Amino acid sequence: MMCRIDQSEPEPGGKQDADATDAVFTSLLEDSAEELYEQAPCGYLSTLMDGTIAKINTTLLDWLGLARSEVVGRMRFTDLLTVGGKLYHETHFAPLLQMKGEISGIALDIKAAGGRMPALVTSKVKTSEDGEPLLIRTTVFDARDRRAYEAELLRGRRAAEEARRQSEADRVRLQEALAVLQQSLLPAELPVVPGLEAGSYYHTASPDLLGGDFYDLFPLDTGRWAFFLGDVCGKGPQAAAVTSLARYTLRAAALHDADPVTVLTTLNTVLHERYASGDGRYCTAIFGILHPADDGHVDLHLASGGHPSALIQRADGSAGYLPTPGGLLIGVLPRAPFTAARTRLLPGDTLLLYTDGLTEARTGPDRALYGEDALRAFTATQPPTGPKDLITALSGLLTSFGNGLDDDTALLALGVPAPSPTPASADLT
Amino acid sequence: MSALTITARDADTGPVLEITGDLDYETAPELRKAVDGLTVAAGQLLVLDLAHLDFCDSSGISALLSARSLAIERGGHIALAAVPANTARILRIVGLDQVFALHQDAATATTRSSAAH
Repeated sequence: MMCRIDQSEPEPGGKQDADATDAVFTSLLEDSAEELYEQAPCGYLSTLMDGTIAKINTTLLDWLGLARSEVVGRMRFTDLLTVGGKLYHETHFAPLLQMKGEISGIALDIKAAGGRMPALVTSKVKTSEDGEPLLIRTTVFDARDRRAYEAELLRGRRAAEEARRQSEADRVRLQEALAVLQQSLLPAELPVVPGLEAGSYYHTASPDLLGGDFYDLFPLDTGRWAFFLGDVCGKGPQAAAVTSLARYTLRAAALHDADPVTVLTTLNTVLHERYASGDGRYCTAIFGILHPADDGHVDLHLASGGHPSALIQRADGSAGYLPTPGGLLIGVLPRAPFTAARTRLLPGDTLLLYTDGLTEARTGPDRALYGEDALRAFTATQPPTGPKDLITALSGLLTSFGNGLDDDTALLALGVPAPSPTPASADLT
Repeated sequence: MSALTITARDADTGPVLEITGDLDYETAPELRKAVDGLTVAAGQLLVLDLAHLDFCDSSGISALLSARSLAIERGGHIALAAVPANTARILRIVGLDQVFALHQDAATATTRSSAAH
């Protein structure tokens, strides 16, 4: 049927415009229906109910690379399909078509002149007036582009999966490297100090970011020992570089002159000069000296630069801070004040140094600050059985904070062992 | 956790930065950038208004110190206004209450003569 513009409609453009439009349509539709069938942009074929091909268009013959005489009356539709296509036709296509009378958009591979050709096939059964099936009409659309697109999607997905596997492997390698670096910032194990017991613990908040907490314990001259514990502001590789600088500066400075304020002053000068231009780098630290005396006690002399006060658990079960107020964050000012303090550790006393990951932790449903008072109370409830036991108790406390603990935390405990318990009191422990 | 927002305004004493949200490892560089972009003339006072600071960790403290260095490099001063209790407590622990001029609020900080610092 020709499509015509209804002339009875009044048109503003008048009769001349309508005639011109008519001419355009005529030229477009000069192809005969036969021409349209043969040269359609898709394949057409009609088969008898047993599949024998009765009619096929030129487009499809061209795709197949076959002559009409080879096909019509001689081949069945399934002969045009690849083995896989045949199988699918047998098991799905034909039964569905028989059941529903039509089936559309099924992907089948046909045996084209250039090899296997993906196609989308639609078939419909033509019936007589009394409902008897007469023949099957089929259209075949070229699906090569679509299949290429799907293959591209699959390839893209495989590439993405491979990239994800690779990045996961890289992440694991990076974490291993970071763990090794982190360990290099801490002593592998604390040295054995005659007449002293020592314990330490390090909690890493994030496996991806190097923490900035550090500590060490090492011998000085004539039976004295030095220790320090500190916390670099910030985290990540920049903080780790400062951690390394701070650790080695403190050790070297202590060998030169172990006076705690002098040692911290040296570190302050080094950090302030090293990072004078650009972004500064700062740390807090407590540095101290232990001097065991002949009568069994240990003289303790320490100084703090902006670091939370050391806590002492006494043999009598009490616990109290050794205040060092006014000490400044190290590296901020060219000449900074540091505050020293002295005390005696008696047998059974334990000195605890910690970084503020512990006291700044958040606890409970309202995420309240854990704080110094709670730490002192907790320590006072622990039996005064030495640094290792206190560290064990505190690491348990840190674990109990769960995700309320979001900062790296270092603990270092040093103490004078109590006299060996009598067998009777040993039974009680 | 909340993002960091920095708003700059000018007072008679010099620039005022209002800092809102979290100042931490992730956001600290933004404060550094904001201070970098400021004009602090010699003798002027840079005020960091912390009234709406929700959180400040050690990276944030470092950023406050960087702001101080920049202000001093240009011949100016720095003051912190309306420091939240928790941050004030940390500043005390690390001794920075001796280093920063602290004011109750931005209005107090900006009405004082910068010559006082």
